[in-house]
Amino acid sequence: MTSPNASPNPHVLGQSSIFNPQVINDIHTKAELGRYRMRGFSMFKPIPHWDQLMFMPGTLTRFVIEGYREKCDTKTVLGARFAQKPLELDIPVYITGMSFGALSLEAKMALAKGASMAGTATCSGEGGMIPPERDLSTKWYYQVIQSRYGFNPHHLMLADAIEFFIGQGCKVGLGGHLMGQKVTEQVAEMRSLPAGIDQRSPARHPDWLGPDDLSLKIQEVREATDYQVPIQLKLGAARVYDDVRMAAKCGPDIIYLDGAEGGTGAGPHLATEETGIPLMAAIPEARRALEDVGLADEIDLVVAGGIRNGGDIAKCIALGAKAVAIGHSSLMALNCNKELPGITDYEGTLGVKAGSCYHCHTGRCPVGITTQDPELRKRLDVEQGAERVYNFLHTLTLEVQMLARACGKTDVHSLEPEDLCALTTEAAAMARVPLAGTNYVPGVTEERTLHEIKTLLEKHVANDGGGSRDV
Amino acid sequence: MVAMSTRRSRNDIRGLAEPDVEAPKTARIEGDTAVFDAADLSPRQINLELRRLVYGEQIPEVTIENPGAKHSVAVGILTRCRITIDGSVGYFGATLGDGPEIHITGRVGWSVAENMMSGVTVIDKNAGSLTGAAMRGGDLVIRGHVGARTGIDQKGGTIIVGGNAGALTGFMMQRGRQIICGDAGPGMGDSMYDGAIYVGGAVASLGVDCVEAEMTPEDDELIDRKFRIYGMDRPASFRKFVCGKKLWNYDNLEPSERKLVL
Repeated sequence: MTSPNASPNPHVLGQSSIFNPQVINDIHTKAELGRYRMRGFSMFKPIPHWDQLMFMPGTLTRFVIEGYREKCDTKTVLGARFAQKPLELDIPVYITGMSFGALSLEAKMALAKGASMAGTATCSGEGGMIPPERDLSTKWYYQVIQSRYGFNPHHLMLADAIEFFIGQGCKVGLGGHLMGQKVTEQVAEMRSLPAGIDQRSPARHPDWLGPDDLSLKIQEVREATDYQVPIQLKLGAARVYDDVRMAAKCGPDIIYLDGAEGGTGAGPHLATEETGIPLMAAIPEARRALEDVGLADEIDLVVAGGIRNGGDIAKCIALGAKAVAIGHSSLMALNCNKELPGITDYEGTLGVKAGSCYHCHTGRCPVGITTQDPELRKRLDVEQGAERVYNFLHTLTLEVQMLARACGKTDVHSLEPEDLCALTTEAAAMARVPLAGTNYVPGVTEERTLHEIKTLLEKHVANDGGGSRDV
Repeated sequence: MVAMSTRRSRNDIRGLAEPDVEAPKTARIEGDTAVFDAADLSPRQINLELRRLVYGEQIPEVTIENPGAKHSVAVGILTRCRITIDGSVGYFGATLGDGPEIHITGRVGWSVAENMMSGVTVIDKNAGSLTGAAMRGGDLVIRGHVGARTGIDQKGGTIIVGGNAGALTGFMMQRGRQIICGDAGPGMGDSMYDGAIYVGGAVASLGVDCVEAEMTPEDDELIDRKFRIYGMDRPASFRKFVCGKKLWNYDNLEPSERKLVL
């Protein structure tokens, strides 16, 4: 007798979707290894994402802007609250902080040059300033991070903006990681560490503990930099409403929220999968928090995490972000996960195909981006890489403009939640935009209805003489 | 009807941001020295006046009177000069400096001399927690006691404590030296990567991966020299503690994580 569905073995009942072969392999590996497993890249498991939101452009009810003829402004000013020199970007997207150490010198230089060509900024990341990156960056963030590796007040004075790293979306609540393969003599010396150690950075800052201290730390850095440049607080998205309220009270110019989709050069696989909330859910919560503390017009919101294209960026802006930072996608512009014929062999060297590589943590990046190996680094040409980064940033901007014009905006920053709808109830609930084809916003609609019922009841009771009637 | 002001707020909720302040120019300048009274000045005004004197007027010796335990005083001074703070300062005093010799005659709050690159900071009385956090160079001398996590993430330089030190002294210390004349609290040297901690008194307990090492003649010579410079009484003997190096690397690696020869 043959199986009606042509299963190869009709006597096999099936297999567990919980303990699937990957899970079983993972348990076997951990049983040998005796520790959590490390990897690079970002979240593997599916979560509600930007694909579940759509734009509702102009038709007859909205006036559209000519796509190729009429202006759609992209200029983005960050940190005008207290800084004498706010950060002025030509486009609403910049390159987020990724350390020298996690990235090669060539990658840092190519990102800096490409960003400058596009009129936008880069960020030092954790490992301190490398002069070639600073030289090539016309706009440059300097990071004040928990470890303070290589932190130098002279470099602080060279910054166009200062970012306090408090957490990242990919591994909220954890410090940085850099496996020993990448802690070369040069990287170790910049960080004042022994070469070759498996570096696990602190999760807390050394000189402040809570928000009260952070307020004073911000005051200290403003005093040191003479109020010239903006102060940005970078938070991993978790308890966003409360965290952003607290962050706002600490007195920054900018708050940066990193969604759970964000990437890392190295981190525990489990933290990557299990910490944080999606960026789509974080932005409305952050806006609500800023409005509730009366600072929505003063503190700028920068967001990041899993951004792939201009559509994702336009959706972030529509929900309330002023600018969007990208990390991993900018590395892909440098050739991350691309097989270079005659040069790379992903399967042979890392056991995965190009397009599925997550081995940034090993230091064996076949395209010379997340490595310190001199031979591998030669595979990344700074000039060509910079050109590709510029092309990518330029394309992202064109895509954002295209969607903004279609929605009738002459400035990309005029995009608003009203331009969006959701394809699923989860996305509608998180982003607080209506489910496509309806007026239904889960949670919000019910709250409004309850409010209407309460108001009607109050009127009814008042008309009835204060509710004193016997029952 | 009063028109609504459209001007943006220039103060943060806690009143710490002072973007629109100018140097008060109240210092008395006599030759190479200057003195100013900080009693009625905000931290911003104090720092602006100090910078005006040190950078603008090229005064090599400045005294700040009545600092009133204010926060973030004398931060980010990146030149050789001598600053005397006659009294106590709050959090983040004398931080982010490279070169100045700073003498504080009173007490200090948390994170004094944080990320100091070089120079000397001397505190005559007690210091709070996180003293010398992430310090990279120079000498930080506290003649009194210090709180918890002294020299956390320390990357260089020397911290000298005349009295006792609190819990987790040298937590995640990377390089440099600490010389504690009195007792050290529990968890000393926890997760330190490198460097040395010398203790004259009792140690409540050692932190993870902190071990005792043998004192060498070079260690004694260094301690003698530092005590001579700062005119301090040296305890009869010191014990030396260093990193056990057991936490430097993961015990096991996956095949793809094997070490490269770099």
